[in-house]
Amino acid sequence: MSEKRCISIIGLSPLKSWGMRALLRESWREKVESFSTFKEFFPYAEKMHAFIVSADVYACNIDFFLPKRQKTLMVSKTADYKGEVAGLNIVSDHWDLPEIKEKVDQFLSGIDYIPESKGELSSRETEVLRLIASGKINKEIADALCISVNTVITHRKNLSSKLGIKSASGLSLYAMMNGII
Amino acid sequence: MALYNRESRLSEAIMSHPSLIPVVNRLGIRLGVGDGNIGEVCSGCGIDSDFFLSVINTFLDEEYFPANASGTFSIAKTVDYLRKTNNFYLMVQLPNIDRHFASLIERSGVDNNIELLRKFYQDMRSQLTECLRHDEEVLFPALVDGVSGKIEFTSGYYEVEEKLHDLLYFFVEHLTGKYDLNLCTAVVTAVFSLEKDICQNNRIRNRILLPIIESLQTS
Repeated sequence: MSEKRCISIIGLSPLKSWGMRALLRESWREKVESFSTFKEFFPYAEKMHAFIVSADVYACNIDFFLPKRQKTLMVSKTADYKGEVAGLNIVSDHWDLPEIKEKVDQFLSGIDYIPESKGELSSRETEVLRLIASGKINKEIADALCISVNTVITHRKNLSSKLGIKSASGLSLYAMMNGII
Repeated sequence: MALYNRESRLSEAIMSHPSLIPVVNRLGIRLGVGDGNIGEVCSGCGIDSDFFLSVINTFLDEEYFPANASGTFSIAKTVDYLRKTNNFYLMVQLPNIDRHFASLIERSGVDNNIELLRKFYQDMRSQLTECLRHDEEVLFPALVDGVSGKIEFTSGYYEVEEKLHDLLYFFVEHLTGKYDLNLCTAVVTAVFSLEKDICQNNRIRNRILLPIIESLQTS
């Protein structure tokens, strides 16, 4: 049995850290650890699966985070980022809540997960699966969950990869067999 | 994988890849091929050996792309091959799976989830039948008659391929309850054979038929 996967939050103020944890709870059922500084975080770095870091911590430790940029979400204080700069995942604390949720969700769905068991789905993936099984198309799923169509497509790819099922009707049958619908 | 050529012995190719048997049948060669090489056997049966080699190499090798398919092969031969393939699905493979499924359900009772899997199979079967109907009523006549303008090329076969994969996956991972082991193996083997054939035939459609359609549309 592998260890539980863990996301670390590094360098955010207590209030932002609390808010980020609340957002993560919607899609991430595994562990979240908060660290106020990089120094405090570093001894645990190897055990961490993904990183949500303040821009200051990111900038001061760019050698560490840049190679892990696909697993790192930087929280910027600048308003005009559009979510991705030179392959970095960025969320701004000036954004509206739905925009932040969308980006966090996209970040989580894009993480190259290490499955604990093949069929284990996140709560958001289960929601997407339920909507697929009820016959909804990508646009309708995106509208129902207030996320973009691209995020729905990423969730679908992850579902197919985790479950080993390729077709929409196969996903529906899986949902039926497992009491998801 | 080494490609076959005119000098390769046909009997050796078939012995190494028994899935070629229905393919060479569709191309007009029946078992009892003797010990001749592919060039000799094709010549004896009046078959274009270039077309024959392109089909079997595409069928067997994922990496193989036949050179200049649109300029080399006749539409009539390609359509004839695909029509025989479609008939094989319709007249042999699907009825075979139907029979095995019916026997499996009859002999296994209701204390399992096989009926759910049969429903999934029947949905896939309807979609495949619709693809075959589209070929027969729309695609083949348009190709043979040289209809100008856009020729519709259904993508439904790829969805069928995915559903067949999923059906096998459900049998392998999610089959529950009591059932007749031998009849279940017969269903799974028949589905596996159809999935493999459709997957390999999709390559032939993509790499031989599609270039011909594209060249028709640009000419």
